[in-house]
Amino acid sequence: MSPMRGSPEERLDALFQAYREACPDPDPSPNFMPHLWQRIEARQTFTFSLRRMTSGFVTAALAFSVALGVYMAIPHKSQGYSTQSYIEALADAQPLDTPDIVGTVSLDLNDPGK
Amino acid sequence: MLVDFELIKRAQKGDSAAFNEIVLVYRKRILGKIARLIARPEDVEDVAQEVFLRLYFSLDQLRTPEVFEPWLYRLTVNAAYDHLRKQRRRQEFRISDLSEQQVMMADAAAGGKVEREEQHQKKIREFVDSLLSGVSESDRVLLMMKEVEGLSLKELEKVYDVNENALKVRLFRARQRVLKAFGSAER
Repeated sequence: MSPMRGSPEERLDALFQAYREACPDPDPSPNFMPHLWQRIEARQTFTFSLRRMTSGFVTAALAFSVALGVYMAIPHKSQGYSTQSYIEALADAQPLDTPDIVGTVSLDLNDPGK
Repeated sequence: MLVDFELIKRAQKGDSAAFNEIVLVYRKRILGKIARLIARPEDVEDVAQEVFLRLYFSLDQLRTPEVFEPWLYRLTVNAAYDHLRKQRRRQEFRISDLSEQQVMMADAAAGGKVEREEQHQKKIREFVDSLLSGVSESDRVLLMMKEVEGLSLKELEKVYDVNENALKVRLFRARQRVLKAFGSAER
């Protein structure tokens, strides 16, 4: 398989040369070109679909951003949202003229049950 | 160069007929290189088509038509390398998929069909393939481009886009490994 003469380097070179001769350029099959163009077209179709999907997605995102911007720009009437501070809200909820919790405590020491 | 610059420029502009002509001119040469790089005849056409597919979609990135051939060889090297990597992953399954009887039948059929010369060439291919199994896929491809395809260091520099010294070191190490395996196989 490998030439018996010469240094190992030379024998390896000869082996590579023999390998080159053992593998000649093969002839392409008749389907080589049709298959190649099929693959190119398939890749082009895929790339085109991907590009169209991407462009559709970008358009939708842009439209949504514009709509959101317009919505945020329009002033809205606040519903159920108080402009009062916390102290003011607390004061309104428990007016000082009816303070249940700060009323006088009457203690009857004659009644043993109590 | 096997084609003129004008043809490449036309293909770059999207002229399908020009691209077709380039493929027709280079396909046999590329098929031969791939056959020697991957050593699997059944996959050669598939890998060669992948090379031209990549060429079709990257041709517009080629700045000057003068570097077309190194560019095409770079695509060939990359496609062969990708194939070898995938093949190594599949290798374990391939043999285990066949039953013992199937293997014996395949051997018998091969013995009947293949002539002596072809068998001798097959042995050389298998022997070189086994020697190269000791180096990485990338070193295998580099070694083949240098030793079998006969590309000079200057040409390899353009294909790999790295400096000559780095290539020399890689080639030397890969060759030493193959030489060691060769010595062991001869004993």
